[in-house]
Amino acid sequence: MLKFIIRRIFWTIPVLLVVIFLTFIMMRQIEGNPFRQTERNVPESIQKNLERKFHLDEPWYTQYAYYVKGVFTFDLGPSLVIRGRDVNDIVKTHFPKSVELGLYAFIFAMVVGIPLGMVAALKHNTAIDYTAMFFSNVFHAIPSFLVATLLIYFVALEAGALPTSGWTTWESKILPSIALGFAPMALFARLVRGTMLETLQQDYVRTARAKGLHYKRVVGLHVLRNSLIPVITAAGPLLGFIITGSFVIELIFNIPGIGQYYVTAVSSRDYSVVMGLTVLLSGIVILANLIVDILYGVLDPRTRDART
Amino acid sequence: MRTKTLWLWLALLVTSLALVAAGCGGDDEEAAGTGATTGAAGGSEAADQTITVNWGTEPPSLDPGLASDVTSANILFNIMDPLVKLDDDLNPVPAAAESFETSEDGKTVTFKLRNDIKWTNGDPVTAQDFEYSWKRTVSPELAADYAYQFSPIVGADEYNACDPKKDNCKALADKMGVKAVDDKTLEVTLKAATPWFVQQVAHHSFLAVNKKVVEQFGDKWTEPANIVTNGPFKLQRWEHNANIDLVKWEAWRDADSVKLTRVNGRMITDGLTAVQAFEAGEIDVLNGGLPTDEIARLKETPEYDQYTGLGTYYEGFNVKNVPDVKQRRAMSLAINRRSIIDNIAQADQLPATGFTPKGMPGFDTINPDSPWMPEEGDVEKAKQLMSEVANPVKNVTFYVNDSPGHREIAVAIQSTWKQELGIDSTIKQQEFQQYLEFLGPPPNKDVDVYRLGWIGDFVDAINFLELWTCDSGNNSTNYCNKDYDAKIEEARTTEDNDARYKLYGEAEQILFGENGDMPVIPIYFYTYTNLEKESVKDSFNLNLLDQVDLTQVVVTE
Repeated sequence: MLKFIIRRIFWTIPVLLVVIFLTFIMMRQIEGNPFRQTERNVPESIQKNLERKFHLDEPWYTQYAYYVKGVFTFDLGPSLVIRGRDVNDIVKTHFPKSVELGLYAFIFAMVVGIPLGMVAALKHNTAIDYTAMFFSNVFHAIPSFLVATLLIYFVALEAGALPTSGWTTWESKILPSIALGFAPMALFARLVRGTMLETLQQDYVRTARAKGLHYKRVVGLHVLRNSLIPVITAAGPLLGFIITGSFVIELIFNIPGIGQYYVTAVSSRDYSVVMGLTVLLSGIVILANLIVDILYGVLDPRTRDART
Repeated sequence: MRTKTLWLWLALLVTSLALVAAGCGGDDEEAAGTGATTGAAGGSEAADQTITVNWGTEPPSLDPGLASDVTSANILFNIMDPLVKLDDDLNPVPAAAESFETSEDGKTVTFKLRNDIKWTNGDPVTAQDFEYSWKRTVSPELAADYAYQFSPIVGADEYNACDPKKDNCKALADKMGVKAVDDKTLEVTLKAATPWFVQQVAHHSFLAVNKKVVEQFGDKWTEPANIVTNGPFKLQRWEHNANIDLVKWEAWRDADSVKLTRVNGRMITDGLTAVQAFEAGEIDVLNGGLPTDEIARLKETPEYDQYTGLGTYYEGFNVKNVPDVKQRRAMSLAINRRSIIDNIAQADQLPATGFTPKGMPGFDTINPDSPWMPEEGDVEKAKQLMSEVANPVKNVTFYVNDSPGHREIAVAIQSTWKQELGIDSTIKQQEFQQYLEFLGPPPNKDVDVYRLGWIGDFVDAINFLELWTCDSGNNSTNYCNKDYDAKIEEARTTEDNDARYKLYGEAEQILFGENGDMPVIPIYFYTYTNLEKESVKDSFNLNLLDQVDLTQVVVTE
């Protein structure tokens, strides 16, 4: 197991190198000037000073080497556009907020989605099932920005129950977490329902019931555990994406997370920020996948044996 | 839901009218007085002088040398003390400087600093601070965008262009024409008489920084734990992309006149979210523009406020591709500016009649009142002119960037050109950064018409008119007229305001007059739109440069 983990971690290095290389190439291929953010053109001597300051006057391979060195020494360099701030600062200040938001949304999705799916599967083809699945499909289809806008309108503005935006008090964290958690919640509900229905048909379930085991115990011990594998498969990358991909929610609720930086950095051609955040986010997705692989082993011993 | 809100506003309006009617009488005289104890709307000063303002974005930098946007400028002007400020008529008046004086030949400007100004760490503010700051901003090491603001000063361009790897930059810095003669006297030597220089000093890049703090903390000196300021407010908290809170600094030289004790700043970027936060009562002032979709509704509310801005929205020609001046005039004539403003832009922008916007000192002399820009267009005349064009260009490519609103304006113009002049235009949208690269100058050959705007940095028409000189880095039209350049050159050194405005007027005539070249079609002059709670609406005001002076704001009950 340990060997497996070490090997996987080792493999992230070439993956990261490829990520850095591709991002580097792509950022340089799109036109634009990080030092010109408005109509106002930058005079030549000032442009030169800026390029010198940020090493943009050096050949591309030297610049690439700077980035690679930066990534592996955990110094992602200064932002080209937000003068006076380092990418490290930005990550340190804003990434925890995105993680927090992602985790709350994820917990909401699990806590609501999994029981919903279970109930739907156990009450298969009843009104409860249909209602649960109807709402799951609807919520899965509605984009999060619409959910967010509706929540703000009805809960914050009309009812005045919660603040419209911000990420300060616990009250302000409720709406964004729910808005972000809705789609994965629906996904979980549908996944759990599907796999659980399948598991309920299995011979060993029937055997367990036949030998007199209590229904609740069969569901709790055998069915649920085996139904969760596909959920875990989906959950790993999903967690990665929830943490990294909450840009829209961050924008609508004005949450100072990393998503906003990522998107604005691309449009303002802030090379170092784009590079730093891409590496960070790829790292997160790689890590999430690794955790999933480890969890497989815990849930299903067969996969554990196969890879030692 | 809309109707419900409408009723609410109606009810509010009726109640407030009734209140005004009941408690009226001495209101006007009071408002004309000092305004210190009574607000103009009849309310008295509230006990809690705290407001929450949405600035709209994070200020990218609070370093006067590096800040290059309006949000940073707005914070900076309230935490720092400029040498001079602009009064309501945009004339420079002493602030941290108790006086300023320009020599006979106009080449030396001397600022005398006040004796009672100090930094929040207790150090006195000295002329040396200003010398240090200005040279720092110009230095190639800082690589500041706004270094060019210092260009009128002797030796500034040379210092800025020096390469630290090859040249002796220190020697060039010493040669730069800014010198602290003593602790309280700052002497500036200019390359040539620059009539608007003192006005330009009101720009935030001319603010001082505290040398000790900058050298101690380097890039991080603007963080709230490190920053040392010298203005009416102190930076108390700055959580990036979330909050920026200012508190009144009691030891400021004129603290008695400052009413606000605290200004909580928010940075809600999304326009709709900001409006919702305002309507939920979470913010008192929504600064930085309202979403176009909402303006029509918000305009009807008592909290809506708008200000004239120093900016011009225009469509530019690539004059190489649309060479016939008659066609360019016809294309301008056909445009109904009133309709664009009322139906698309919607913030009561002013239809343009020249390039220099209204509000600019000398506007009445400068404005050419162009015959080619009637407010509602003149289709008949346009058609006639178009018929006189020898080789009309019947297919044009019209470039716009992809921010909201621009495409809609382009479509309106496109349909007018098609219907009235038979010109087919293809609209191409680009992402802003790519767009700027595409426009150059020189512009990509594919560009026939493009849209841009220009927002003034300082209040002299030179800031607008120098755009259309041959070598301007912002002239994407390929337009080059030596007579025009000569007028602008002459204006640069003409000290007398009236004479200079007259030259600007002549320059505008070359562009847009009866025989004007029409390299661009100005569409409208910008306005700024805000939502402001009625308790601060009277005292919270933006100047032409989109700046608010928080020392003037009073919360009324």
